[in-house]
Order: sequence, then C-alpha cells, then structure tokens
Amino acid sequence: MRNPYEVLGLKEGASIEEIKKAYRELVKKYHPDRYMDNPLSDLAEEKLREINEAYDILIKSGGNGYAQQQSSYQRQQRQQQRQQQQQQQYQYQYQYQQQKQNPGSQGYSGYADENQMYYQIRMMIQNGNFNQAQQMLDSIQNRGAQWNYLQGLLFLRRGWYDRANVLLRKAVDMDPNNMEYRDTLSRVNNQYRGFQQNPYYYRGGYRREPDMCQVCGTLWCADSLCECLGGDLIGCC
Amino acid sequence: MFGYITPDKPELKMWEFEVFRGYYCGVCKTIAKRAGHTGRVVLSYDAAFLALLLDSLHQQPVHGTQKRCLIHPTHKRFMVTPNPAVEYASDINILLAYYNLKDKWQDEKKLAGPMGMLVLRKGFNRVKKRYPSLVRDIGSDLENLRILEQQRCAHIDEASEPFACIMRRIFEFHVQDTALKEVLGWIGFNLGKWVYLLDAYDDIEDNIKSGAYNPLLAQFEYNKKEDASAFKQRIREQTEFTLVYSLSEMEKAFSLLDIQKNQGILENIIYRGLLVRTRNVLEIGAGCNEKSI
Repeated sequence: MRNPYEVLGLKEGASIEEIKKAYRELVKKYHPDRYMDNPLSDLAEEKLREINEAYDILIKSGGNGYAQQQSSYQRQQRQQQRQQQQQQQYQYQYQYQQQKQNPGSQGYSGYADENQMYYQIRMMIQNGNFNQAQQMLDSIQNRGAQWNYLQGLLFLRRGWYDRANVLLRKAVDMDPNNMEYRDTLSRVNNQYRGFQQNPYYYRGGYRREPDMCQVCGTLWCADSLCECLGGDLIGCC
Repeated sequence: MFGYITPDKPELKMWEFEVFRGYYCGVCKTIAKRAGHTGRVVLSYDAAFLALLLDSLHQQPVHGTQKRCLIHPTHKRFMVTPNPAVEYASDINILLAYYNLKDKWQDEKKLAGPMGMLVLRKGFNRVKKRYPSLVRDIGSDLENLRILEQQRCAHIDEASEPFACIMRRIFEFHVQDTALKEVLGWIGFNLGKWVYLLDAYDDIEDNIKSGAYNPLLAQFEYNKKEDASAFKQRIREQTEFTLVYSLSEMEKAFSLLDIQKNQGILENIIYRGLLVRTRNVLEIGAGCNEKSI
C-alpha cells in the first residue's frame, strides 16, 4: 500500500488539522456525485476508497479520540447519504413501476413492452453498452419524455454534449414533474457553470479591454510627458 | 495541430514557464533531428502539452540542458533532453502536420500543401513505420471526417467525433496500463472535441467568405443575409456550453491521474489556459496566435 501521507498529498508528519483539510478537499474532488455522468466513475470510486483508508490510518495513528469519532461520524454520514441515494433510486424505480402498472394514460397498446425496453436501455447505458442501447432507442417509434431523457443520457456518456443538453431539456419540458429528469439537467448545467467559474478561472485582470479609468490615466500620463518636453497633448489641462 | 493548448502565461511562475518552454524546445529539437531542420516550422504548443503531460506521469526529475539553437542563436535556453514522451509528441506533431497539409491541398488546393508534405515526407514515413497501427487507425478516422465534411454534417457533436477519436488514440497509445489508457483517452477525446469546435468557431468568418464547410454554420443554419458577428452572437451560448462542458469532463479525467511533477504547469493549462483561450476566441476572436516562444 502507498504511504497514506502521499495519498492525501501531504508531507509526512502533517498535523491533524492539515490531514482533515486535505481529506475534505479530496473527498469533494472525487465524490461520486461529481463523477455520476462520467465514464471513469469506477476509477474515481477506487481513488476515494484509497483516500478513506489513508485517512483512517492517519487519524488512528494520531491517537486522537475526537478525530476518531469524527471519522466514524463522517462514515456514518456517508452511509446515510448512500442510503438516501438508494432511496431516491428506489423512488424512481417505484415511479417507473407505477407507470408500468397503469399504462392506460396514453392508450398505446405496446406501452408495457416499451417500458420494459426502457428499463433495459437504462441498464445498458449504465453498463457502458452504448451501441446496443442506441439500436434499441432507434427502434422505438413513440418518442416521449422518457425516450428523450434516455437518448440524452446516452449522448452525455458518449461525449455528445450539445445534443445531450438539448434532449434533456426537451425531456424536462415534456414532463416537468419528473424529478429525475430535472435533477440530471440541473446537474449537467451546474457542472458547466461550476467549471466556468472555477476558482482558477480568469476573471478581470489586465487582459480585459481597457476601462475608462485606464484610458484617462494613460492620456493624463501622456499629456504630462509631453508637457515635460515642452509640448502639450491636451490643451485644456 | 492547432496551437490552442497553451498555459495562461501571466499566471505561471518564471521557472514554470521556463520548464514549459523547455518541453517546447525539446520537441522542436527532436523534430529537427527526425524530419530535418525545415520540419521545425510545424512545431505546435499542442505537442508540447502532450510531451509535458505524458512525461509528468513519470517520477524522474525533468532533465535538460542550457543550449543555443538555430532559431534563437543569441541566448542559451533550457531544453528538455529528449525522452520517450518528448519523442512520441514530436512524432505525433509530424504526423498531424503532415495530414493537415494533405487536407489543405485536397480542400483548398493551396500550394503550401504539397511543398510542406515534401519537407515532412521523410519524417512521416519514419512515424508510419514506427507506429503502423496508430497511423492506420488515424487514417480511417480522417476518412470518416472527410466523408462527414463532404456530407456537410449538420451536427457539431457528430462532426467533431472523428477528430476527438484521433486525439483519444493519440493520448492513450503511449501508455500500457488499461486504467491509465482509459483516463488519458478521455482527456484526449474531450480535448479533441474542444479543439475542433473552437477552431470551427474561429474560422466562421473565413468559411462564410469562402463557402467552405463549417459544422457551426451547418448546425445553426446560417443564412447568407446574416451578419457574421450577429450569427456568432446567436450561437455563442450553445457553443460555449459544449466547449466548457468538454473541458470540465477533461478536468475530471485529469484529476484521476497520478501526476508526479509539473503539477503547477499542467493545472495552469487545464484550469486557466484552456478557459482563457475559449473566452478569447468567443469574445474577441483572437484565437490562434501560434507565435514561437
């Protein structure tokens, strides 16, 4: 196993506070939510596991009872979060099953089969089986909100972001009450905004077009210099 | 290659800039060795980035020397000693420049094409011999790209796919480990998509004049009466989404890498350099100034 300090990106002998800070940042960085629509989510999970192990080792070796408590508290929190996520998933599944049970709303005879298909497509997208999922989506004639959502999800995973965004928005427009569609759309847009406004992103600075203050300042400076040499650039001052 | 991948220079530390330039010079030197001195003209920042990224996965400290070179004979400069990553990036630079010239000749019948190809001939053949499978795959991707362009494909995602795949292949080819291949491949894919679309946005005015294919003009249905800047304004938001989202996906892949050195320079490029470039192209239209450093 790797040196736990190295895993957390710290120098050996870092204080408990430093360890906690580094740990918090890394958890944020590799959080499953952040990698939800990313093909590398497995690797992120692995990385997080490594970080958790390293953190546990360091905190235990620090012999600080309070920190230990914190660690287990955090683990509890994580577990709770995971349970919540699972519950959400169940909810979606439940919704879907309910839909399946009373298919009469659209009066389409093949509706139940179609839902079965959508379920399969979901699984395929989750397992990275994109070509087959695409084939099945292409074969569906009746393209409602769910079709648009799943096609959007598939495009998102394949790196076709422009079309993914359009389709996800369409799915939300068609079925505004579906929380799953809305969650996904807002997640995608948050990722976009988040990166654009990342703390490193260039905001302002000297490369912006010159503002009024700079223009006046420069003119004033040029005028003074001219005056030093006996000339005058701006007559009135 | 397009030369869009650059650091945000004012934010770099002096020594970091020196190191980045060292990679750039190292690639240049290697190209000169492999494709002759005239081959140097095709040098691009993108290749320097590739060399920097691939080399940063290894633990050995950056090794280089202070040297004079043909292009800048007055000052000695830090130059990274050719290592496998630098050599690979140089080969890729030659390969892509060769294909780029070929493309120019086929599309626009510019005489620069065959002349440049003649210059790069030797280097290109060498690369072809060295990485036969990679060159073959890239060739077939380029064929796909040509077909899509001929059909005037009206979807930016579909049109950018072949180039993104080329970059994926390039980024993953150099390493052995499967997980690492996946991560680097995703970096390459998203970077390729970004480069292709940014270049398309940058070329809008030229393509309107010449009537050449441009995926953005095709997708957003440019009509001939429309003013170019009004058109750009109209498509800006949607294009920016795809560009920045690609970068954000790339950043996620980058976070999973075990970077052993040059962390500051790489982070500067990924978190700032690329976004600054995106913004410059979208706002001012001052895109690609492939000026030697």
